[in-house]
Amino acid sequence: MWMYYLSLGINSLRRNPILTFITVLILGIGIAASMSTLTILYVMSGNPIPHKSDRLFVPQFDTDGMDGYKPGEKPAFQLAHKDAMNLLRDAKGVHQTAMYGISQAVDSRRKDLALFQEPGVATTAEAFTLFEIPFLHGQGWTSNEDRNAAQVVVIGQQLAKKIFGKTNVVGQVLRLDQRDYRITGVIGNWRPLPKYYRVYGSGAATGLPEEIWIPFSNATSREYSNNGWTNCSGDSDPGYQGFLNSECQWIQYWVELKTANDAAAFKDYMSAYVATQKKLGRMPRPENNRFSNVMQWLEDAKVVEQDTKISSLLSLGFLLVCIVNMMALLLAKFTARDGDIAVRRALGASRWQIFQQFALESFVIGCVGAVIGVALSFLALRLMANGNADMSAIYKMDAAMLSLTVCISIAASLIAGLLPTWRACQVLPAMQLKSQ
Amino acid sequence: MINPLKNSRPIFSAMLRNKTGVLLIVAQIALTFAIIANALYVVQQRLAEANRTTGIDDAGVFAIGIMSAPGKNDEFTQQELDVQALRAVPGVKAAAWVNQMPLLQSGTNSGFFIDKKLKEPSAVPATYFSGSSPVEALGIRLIEGRDFEQSEYITNDDSLPQDTQAKVQVLLVTKELAKTLYPNEKSVIGKLLYRGSGDDSTPIRIIGVIDSLVTPWGYASWGGQNADGTQSAIFPIRRHQPFNLYAVRSAPAQRAEVMKAAEKSLLAITPGRMVTINRDMDKIRDRRYSGEKAMALTLIIVVGLLLLTTAAGIVGMASLWVNQRRKQIGVRRALGATRGDILRHFLSENFLITSIGIVVGILLTVVLNLVLVEKLEMQQLPTFYLPIGAVLLWAMGLLAVYGPARRAASVSPATATRSA
Repeated sequence: MWMYYLSLGINSLRRNPILTFITVLILGIGIAASMSTLTILYVMSGNPIPHKSDRLFVPQFDTDGMDGYKPGEKPAFQLAHKDAMNLLRDAKGVHQTAMYGISQAVDSRRKDLALFQEPGVATTAEAFTLFEIPFLHGQGWTSNEDRNAAQVVVIGQQLAKKIFGKTNVVGQVLRLDQRDYRITGVIGNWRPLPKYYRVYGSGAATGLPEEIWIPFSNATSREYSNNGWTNCSGDSDPGYQGFLNSECQWIQYWVELKTANDAAAFKDYMSAYVATQKKLGRMPRPENNRFSNVMQWLEDAKVVEQDTKISSLLSLGFLLVCIVNMMALLLAKFTARDGDIAVRRALGASRWQIFQQFALESFVIGCVGAVIGVALSFLALRLMANGNADMSAIYKMDAAMLSLTVCISIAASLIAGLLPTWRACQVLPAMQLKSQ
Repeated sequence: MINPLKNSRPIFSAMLRNKTGVLLIVAQIALTFAIIANALYVVQQRLAEANRTTGIDDAGVFAIGIMSAPGKNDEFTQQELDVQALRAVPGVKAAAWVNQMPLLQSGTNSGFFIDKKLKEPSAVPATYFSGSSPVEALGIRLIEGRDFEQSEYITNDDSLPQDTQAKVQVLLVTKELAKTLYPNEKSVIGKLLYRGSGDDSTPIRIIGVIDSLVTPWGYASWGGQNADGTQSAIFPIRRHQPFNLYAVRSAPAQRAEVMKAAEKSLLAITPGRMVTINRDMDKIRDRRYSGEKAMALTLIIVVGLLLLTTAAGIVGMASLWVNQRRKQIGVRRALGATRGDILRHFLSENFLITSIGIVVGILLTVVLNLVLVEKLEMQQLPTFYLPIGAVLLWAMGLLAVYGPARRAASVSPATATRSA
């Protein structure tokens, strides 16, 4: 019987083509509008490293002086150099790494390519394990090379192609800041979204991973300045060494624990650390440590922009209007069929059977709406990503989002069809037949 | 004109016969109203932000930045050579070494104190440094006081002990910064400011007020002090650093050529350097506000589609009612109602339904706005958005219903004599 209702539903699409067309189109537009805005919300509120996001943590200390102290304020999101170095030395986690942004001149030593500036990261050997950065060729550098401030570099595929025209360039030399860095590895396909490991700065959360990674120790020995946020409140001594010794906060720090439960022990260690530093005359403020895992960190960093939330909310409102609108149009469509219903009822169809028939008809409309909605969503996302390669990974619909789109479309049409379907069941055969 | 109260009896009774349909249209109009009023307000705010003045000569200014070759260089001499070379480029009106540019999204904010005993800064402006007249190079408007004098420019090298460095004596402030520092003073010229608090802090004298100079970030999304980006200060300082940025001003029509020539000239005087940025203010502004503009565009599209959707719903419903009431219309026509009467009937009916929708919509708008204010840091909707939304929806409703109403008016009186 359901197959028959289904064929009735499909036939009825043709019965009133203009009305049907408007109904389906409106559903499709509503779906596309809400889905394309939701996609951004979905990507940016996603978990970039699901299997260990609860074991990766960012420690924060409040290292500023008492001036301007307001209880309840969050501590700086980065660490001072000395704290980062102390934590690295204590190595209380399974893995830990410190990092900061650099931006040095790259000399391709090719006539056709001028000197160019390429953003990079200064970090430690464990970063590659901690963030699970995949290698296309070679590997990261060793802890020994960290200790020796070795002139080694890991580069991204795009940079390798740009300079060497190929990706297998392990052992070759990258000329950075007019110094020779030996390439130990080339990073494979890796695009964490949001870009959680260095999330602050304009557009940082949606940015592409850096293509140059060098040892932290090498970068500071070369006095490479920080390409990123630096927050200084007190005075510092002159020169780069003065900067390293200062209380300025500019280093991102990550620690990986064995299990999420080890967080309590690490927090205790942080408190003990603050107590020691207080004895040394640092950290005058009351202890205000934070220890956030990946998702808490992303929440703190407000990675999902308010505008994304506002446009998603308003687009969902639009979808709601589309549902109400479809309800009205289906009401009109079904009302025109009161005569048919009366005949079928008179011939013995029960209310339940009429209900099934019209619910299936709504379902058919939902399916067609889903097809239009998916097509329009792809179009809208394509337009939004247009001309911006960085964004194409964000404005992309994955399998989960696609099935959600189809489900929402069908659910919307079933909800919209509920009232008109119920009304159709109320048709009294005698009244209708008499008035014919 | 449409008078909804004239002949309102048949309208009301017709509406009461179609309660469900009327309710659905009312709900749709109310929701549409709430969404478009709030969305248009967000659009207005984002566009206002994107079009806000930078305070500088946007059409004539560009920023060019150059990275020195690795190693220790005498950057102060380099800066002087660079500025000379830039000034020699045909079409250049003025050039100055600067530490940051408006809307370029990289720069420094620092706390300033009006009294060195204070514990908390009186303001946290963006701190611009300029090696020669910022008034000339940026094309900013001085509204009080004067520009820097040649003797007031100093150089600062961070790698040397601070007590060996010349101390900056004077600064320029924006009108908004002056207001924040001294809300009750008519003039701030001659007032003193301190870079830090404490006894060893030396005073800096305000010598001029500029109309406006936006910070490198525009409004700061992280909120807090100076979040609207209107508070800036300019100091007559040049710093020793490997990356040198210059603000250059030319006639707007010549800017594109001047930019190319400037880049060539800088690379020619000292080879081995790398130009990392050469961007005019229009591009700098576009980049800074691309997010705001994308948001505005998205919402305008949503509002447009929403109005079309609701209009389509009204057309559908009205067509249905016209069809259902063909016989009644025929009877009214036969009893002497003119085509105009029938047309008016449907227009008035629509006007009434839309009005009910708008009344409910105003409530929904306020509720939605409260949610947005509470959860998403939006501002309270100005009340004038309510009449704007109402007019928009009335216009849309009448336009949508006009077609079906015309068809209703063309129903011939003879229809009354036929059986359905």
